[in-house]
Amino acid sequence: MYQALLANRYLTSRIIPLIAVAAVALCVALVIIVVSVMTGFLDMLKSSGKTLMGDVIVGYPVRGIPHYERLIDEINGLSTAAVASPLIDSYGLLRMPYPEGDDKEVVTVQVWGIQPESFAGVTGMADSIYWKELSEQEAATARDDDFRRRIKPGMLGDSLTLTDPVTGRRGALMGIHVSIVNDRQQDGSYEPKFDHWWLPGGHEVTLTLVPISSKGSISEPRDRTFPIINEFHTGVYQIDKSRIMIPLEDAQHLLRLEEAIKYDTSGELDENGRPPVIGTSPARATKILVRAADGVTPDELLADVRMAYERFWMKVAAEDGVMEVPPSRELVTMLTWEQQLRDLIGPVEKERELMRILFSIIYLVCAGLVLSIFWAIVYEKTRDIGILRSVGASRLGILWIFLRYGMVIGILGSILGVGLAYLVVSNINEIHDAIGQDAPTWSWVAMYSFGLAAAIGMLVSITRSRVLYAIILGLVAISLGGVAFALQQHVGTVIWDPAVYYFSTLPSQLDFFTVIITMIGAIVFSILGAAVPAAKAADTDPVKALRYE
Amino acid sequence: MNDLTMTPAAGQQGQATGRDVILSAHDVAKTYQMGRVEVKVLKGASIELATGEWLSILGSSGSGKSTLLHLLGGLDQADEGGGGIRYRQQEITGFNSRQLNTYRNLSVGFVFQFYHLLPELTVMENTVLPAMVARGRLKWYRDRAEITERARELLSQFGLDHRLEHRPRELSGGERQRTAIARALVNQPSILLADEPTGNLDASTGGEILDLIKQQHEQGLSIIMVTHDSTIASQADRQVHLVDGIVQ
Ligand SMILES: Nc1ncnc2c1ncn2[C@@H]1O[C@H](COP(=O)(O)OP(=O)(O)O)[C@@H](O)[C@H]1O
Ligand SMILES: [Mg+2]
Repeated sequence: MYQALLANRYLTSRIIPLIAVAAVALCVALVIIVVSVMTGFLDMLKSSGKTLMGDVIVGYPVRGIPHYERLIDEINGLSTAAVASPLIDSYGLLRMPYPEGDDKEVVTVQVWGIQPESFAGVTGMADSIYWKELSEQEAATARDDDFRRRIKPGMLGDSLTLTDPVTGRRGALMGIHVSIVNDRQQDGSYEPKFDHWWLPGGHEVTLTLVPISSKGSISEPRDRTFPIINEFHTGVYQIDKSRIMIPLEDAQHLLRLEEAIKYDTSGELDENGRPPVIGTSPARATKILVRAADGVTPDELLADVRMAYERFWMKVAAEDGVMEVPPSRELVTMLTWEQQLRDLIGPVEKERELMRILFSIIYLVCAGLVLSIFWAIVYEKTRDIGILRSVGASRLGILWIFLRYGMVIGILGSILGVGLAYLVVSNINEIHDAIGQDAPTWSWVAMYSFGLAAAIGMLVSITRSRVLYAIILGLVAISLGGVAFALQQHVGTVIWDPAVYYFSTLPSQLDFFTVIITMIGAIVFSILGAAVPAAKAADTDPVKALRYE
Repeated sequence: MNDLTMTPAAGQQGQATGRDVILSAHDVAKTYQMGRVEVKVLKGASIELATGEWLSILGSSGSGKSTLLHLLGGLDQADEGGGGIRYRQQEITGFNSRQLNTYRNLSVGFVFQFYHLLPELTVMENTVLPAMVARGRLKWYRDRAEITERARELLSQFGLDHRLEHRPRELSGGERQRTAIARALVNQPSILLADEPTGNLDASTGGEILDLIKQQHEQGLSIIMVTHDSTIASQADRQVHLVDGIVQ
């Protein structure tokens, strides 16, 4: 019982242990912040992968899979599959509507030809559509001048059919960062820089694609003009910056992958002066995205999809007079979303583990710090130890005082550290935005004033010949002055460039597992650090400790 | 060493007369190792304390008085092969460390020249410390009220009612020593071991402390008091001299 009393008194009656608490807190906060942000990235990567692509992806690039509708029927027949959707992916040139005049901006884009209904069933496309009326919940938190407040029913085209409501024309969905018009605000919302250049408000873009023939040569480029139906925001910067989605049939047409009559160009012309017809070449898709039924893992689905492809291929190949046989199973890539993203996820995962290991060194720093501080305290408390032994305290009892003391420091430090990490992580985007701007004048004026106050305090201490206070205040004055100068000189620097870091926002959630592990680590290492001085305390000879004043 | 300790004078001078012997040292030796040199501080000291007796040990500075007191209080170990120390019927030289802790905690109470209070604890907390050491958390909570009450009584008897929540550094030397005595008595030991309790105090404050010890003696406490001052020693029932490592 006396151990608890003394451990608490030793903790509260001096400054050094508070420094130890602060140091442990900083270590804990550092580890939690870094690992949480990285874990957040991994989670974002993973969840974005799943919502952007479904669970399993069947792919055969460039020429695509003929008779893909029959493959889709086969897959839809699987009990493990919920929905399958055909896709064409390619690259193209996009002519933007701006600026005024004939010399328009042209950008390269990644083109996805989609079948909107099934695509929305496989992916989270519907949720990523940006321009829509705010839900009640969003309306409660959004800014008063949020552009979306101006959106009225019927103003925008139907994203689920990709058609313009007024003209009935098929249109395109574009990533929110493709157009330079959209400006990201502090709160993460978007605003058109000029209202009249707001693309879904009736603007058109022209997309040019280059078809590749079956012989691998480039054919005559084709282009088509699309009204912008809406823009989407997936949160994955690379996608939001470069992807445009158009209806599958348009993509097939632009890439010459649509159903077509095939002529025999080598033989005689018929009576109408045309080459004879051989048959109909089927439409193609370069990818099939599949979403797993509830409770089915991507790997289970993948195994079934492989077998479905095999059956599809056998059936088509066995038919008489079939025009084009699909590629055999070995040539087609079939991957789960995790495998598809492995190149991206793998390094981040390894980096996180490396961070964990590197940061474990910080625990040793904590332990070393506690050890040296406790060594000093035990030295200073030698006489107390002698007194305690003289009134009957056992060696173990003395040991326990200091272990307990270390434990209290570990617990307090890790709780404070978690609090600090929580504050930083949950405000990380705001902190980042603040760093991205010039420091407000009041901040450095305030810092200079505090620094000046400390300097005056130092002078007063010197005149009263209080050396310790003078030195402490002098150090405080210098550091405040330094901070003030840094703030005054600070010009906004964007540390987190979304173009480099894949996502447009930083993850802002604490990773529970990391919090628990880090707290336990800090407490254990604080106790370990206390163990050596505690053992020294237990071994103190009471007679020597008591002998002199 | 043996020829010195066998002098009959040593045995007789150290002997209590009449009543039961509560604490005794028989022919104890203590040697300190200082580098290569062995310092023989006690060379076969014998002493007996009767129940309820107040005994003074007189000796010049460095004669080994504190050493002998530490041995008697179970705080230090005598040389092996020498004699032993008996408390009632038990040979404490043979105690294990747990028995020794209990002996120091319950059977004897120490008072030191330099008070030796814990600076972070209040007067009250310092006083009840041995009672806390004696108990685990549960027993402490069970007995706390009773012990605090006893401590309060002792402290008010010593004129410290208004000092209960003060820290030692806020007290005068006399007040500190009175706190130390209260601490030594809180577990109601049978023996008080006082090592120059007035050594650090002026004459009148020292006199007050002696009066206080005398009071306890009158209430039946057995006391060994170490001092180098013969007028202080003369307050006791009996005095012995420690000279050349032997009690004379
Ligand atoms: N730990 C020790 N190591 C070496 N010598 C010691 C030690 N403790 C005490 N001494 C010596 O033992 C002698 C007796 O000391 P002490 O018992 O304190 O004497 P007193 O209390 O009578 O003044 C002194 O000469 C002292 O220097
Ligand atoms: Mg002494």
